[in-house]
Amino acid sequence: MRIRKIYLAAALLASPSLLMMCTKPAPFSDEEYDPRLSGGAATVFDATSKAFGNVIPGLSSYDQHVHDLGDNSVDQTFVTAPATINSGLGPIFNNVSCRSCHHNDGKGSPTTGTVTSSMLMRLSIPGTDAHGGPLAVPGLGLQLQDLAVFGKTAEASVKITYTEQVFTYPDGTVTTLRKPTYTFVNPYTSLPVDLMVSPRMAPPFFGLGLLVNIPESTILSFADENDANGDGISGRPNYVYDASQQKMMLGRFGMKANTATILTQAAAAYQQDMGITNRIFPQESTFGQPQMDNLNDDPELADSLLNSVEFYLLSLAVPARRNTTNTDIMAGEKLFAQVGCSNCHIPTIQTGVDVRYPYLSNQRIHPYTDLLLHDMGDGLADGRPDFRAGGSEWKTPALWGVGLFEKTNGTPFYLHDGRARTLEEAVLWHDGEAAKVKGKFTELTAGERGQVISFLKSL
Amino acid sequence: MKKLVLLFTVGVFTILSCSKNSDNDTSTSDFAALEDSVIVNFVNKTAIPGYEDLLAKATTFNNVVTALNSSPTEANLTAAKTAWKDMRKTWEQCEGYLFGPVEDDNYDPNMDTWPVDYVQMDSLLNSSNALEIADIEGLATLSLRGYHPIEYILWGTDGNRAATDLTAREKKYITSLTIDLKNTCTKLRDSWITSGGNYSAKVMDAGIGAQPFPTKQSLFTAMAAALADICGEVGESKMKEPYDAQDPNIVESPFSGNSTTDFKNNIVGAYDVYMGTFLGSNGKSLHALVAAKNLSLDNKIQQQFQAAIGSFDAITMPYEKAIISQRGLCATTMSNLVTLKGSIEDDLENFILTNIKD
Repeated sequence: MRIRKIYLAAALLASPSLLMMCTKPAPFSDEEYDPRLSGGAATVFDATSKAFGNVIPGLSSYDQHVHDLGDNSVDQTFVTAPATINSGLGPIFNNVSCRSCHHNDGKGSPTTGTVTSSMLMRLSIPGTDAHGGPLAVPGLGLQLQDLAVFGKTAEASVKITYTEQVFTYPDGTVTTLRKPTYTFVNPYTSLPVDLMVSPRMAPPFFGLGLLVNIPESTILSFADENDANGDGISGRPNYVYDASQQKMMLGRFGMKANTATILTQAAAAYQQDMGITNRIFPQESTFGQPQMDNLNDDPELADSLLNSVEFYLLSLAVPARRNTTNTDIMAGEKLFAQVGCSNCHIPTIQTGVDVRYPYLSNQRIHPYTDLLLHDMGDGLADGRPDFRAGGSEWKTPALWGVGLFEKTNGTPFYLHDGRARTLEEAVLWHDGEAAKVKGKFTELTAGERGQVISFLKSL
Repeated sequence: MKKLVLLFTVGVFTILSCSKNSDNDTSTSDFAALEDSVIVNFVNKTAIPGYEDLLAKATTFNNVVTALNSSPTEANLTAAKTAWKDMRKTWEQCEGYLFGPVEDDNYDPNMDTWPVDYVQMDSLLNSSNALEIADIEGLATLSLRGYHPIEYILWGTDGNRAATDLTAREKKYITSLTIDLKNTCTKLRDSWITSGGNYSAKVMDAGIGAQPFPTKQSLFTAMAAALADICGEVGESKMKEPYDAQDPNIVESPFSGNSTTDFKNNIVGAYDVYMGTFLGSNGKSLHALVAAKNLSLDNKIQQQFQAAIGSFDAITMPYEKAIISQRGLCATTMSNLVTLKGSIEDDLENFILTNIKD
């Protein structure tokens, strides 16, 4: 949101090159990079509650203008059609503006059905659609809309209950995890017996342009579908149908890598989460349902506005790391690699070149993800396949900025459904392919585990 | 001759004393004590009194609207409009420190969601919904709650509604909406005080390593960032969007014609946070911290605040009209706000990073 000066980042980037001028040209060694620059040149130094909302430094004035338009757009509260501005909310929806769920351009709270809620339920029944994607539920579609404008009926409301379960470390330390259960209350139509439900928290907005610019070949190089190296970790790409490009593409976004492009992600959120039709999804989410509005006003969202939101999401900078020279944090970083977290949470990736976006091109970034699917075990499984992703598979989430959720969110929540209240709980939920690595983490001393958490908080 | 020497000497001393206070006038321990008193003053003279005053204004507003409900006279309608503007003034000024529970717990959209959802409001008013406070709290969207639906009903689209035009349902609706406002303000006030959520303690604990402000530097940075944010919100968003589009429909508070005043009060609130003069109080503030080490920066920030606030006064009409008829004045104000925001974001935040190390 706010424009930060590039000087510091530029100076930090420039200093290794000054050193190298006297020697033979060669790649920098790792020590010569500043570890704080999580997004390369697209990094900002902001550790406040607004840390996720900064524009990438050095945009042209035109790009800055489009970014600002998108910034305004994600703030707009939509209202019922017909209206002079922001028209088209509902009739059924999950929330009224982008930022209502994506609090401070971040996540929010794992609740449903209030204006501050950041969670929704994806739905499907067994089988696949024409493109191999999940099969819509008759009368409900692919997502539960748990709110409705006055006089209409929400599809259902969701009751969330948590069951506490004790986890005991090998050293005897005890901690409590909570497992969520979701119950649909007052559904407007009968629910199919084979209904599959996947809860999803709103993910943060920033850094997406860099993730788009990671070459497909790089992501595929991390894959090990048949576990040829025998480390117990496979890693599979998801391939999904993209409605904006109208073709099958590598999935990069969504909890199951079930979306390929920022444009489709944003357009689907407008149409599914708020009921705002647009050029990518011109039909109301209630299409074919009894509450379909019969207004001839689709698409409700101007193309220019959708495009500005796409660019806004592409051009949000990554917040810099803090305290990278702290000895505990440096020790934690080593342990993170030693126990094997970094096998999937890949620390360093080089982005490719896109001549339209020099600030996203050829950047050495630290996203801590491989963008691949991994079986995370029964504890986290939603049992709802999504294209190639199975019911217990999830995409490795990026960890950059994970240490700032305490700031951006008030109370932080982690994992796809916000069940983890601390980073430690998030680590302990890892299972399946990650069981071995999680096991090694639990065998660390309490001090060492604390160092790993301190490292995560520095991201 | 002697006189001249004396004058010369005085002159030199004056010059010397002027240059001296630019750096390190204050000892380290004095400065640390000053930091602490700025924090305490922020809590006790700005943040809590701000929300106390907001609650008081909300209570008055509810009383006045309740009176209007039982006796719809022109005098009561005028009183309700005045109470709306009074409450709005404190609220806009409280946006000078928009961090903590007001943000984390979304009290802001609970009161100040824009635009109004006319279609839903019509179906609500035409329904058999009892419009009691519990019904209001059960509404799915905040665009049916808070300042703006009340504003719409009190003023009407053309800004001059007669008391006799108010329907019984409308009066019932806005009475419950003012109870809702009062409830939100109570929660917001409680979130800061010791007997409630005690966010004050989190601010006072800045520097002991605990979240959300592990260092004092992080607290002061958050305070400065909030000042910059509100300048950006007004100068780069709320004013700029309708100005660029030349579209009066996008302007907030159009029914009461209060938009220019709203914007100005945002910046007045921010200035008062900076100066330690919030709602007429008097305490150590960011201004004292900056002045202790860098008078010229403090002067610059004060002057830019005053220039920005002064330029609002030049705009003589509601903002939705000014974007058509007084474009130059609107542009000057926005430019002043952008300059001010830049100084806060670059110079003030740099000052904090350089001088506040604990």
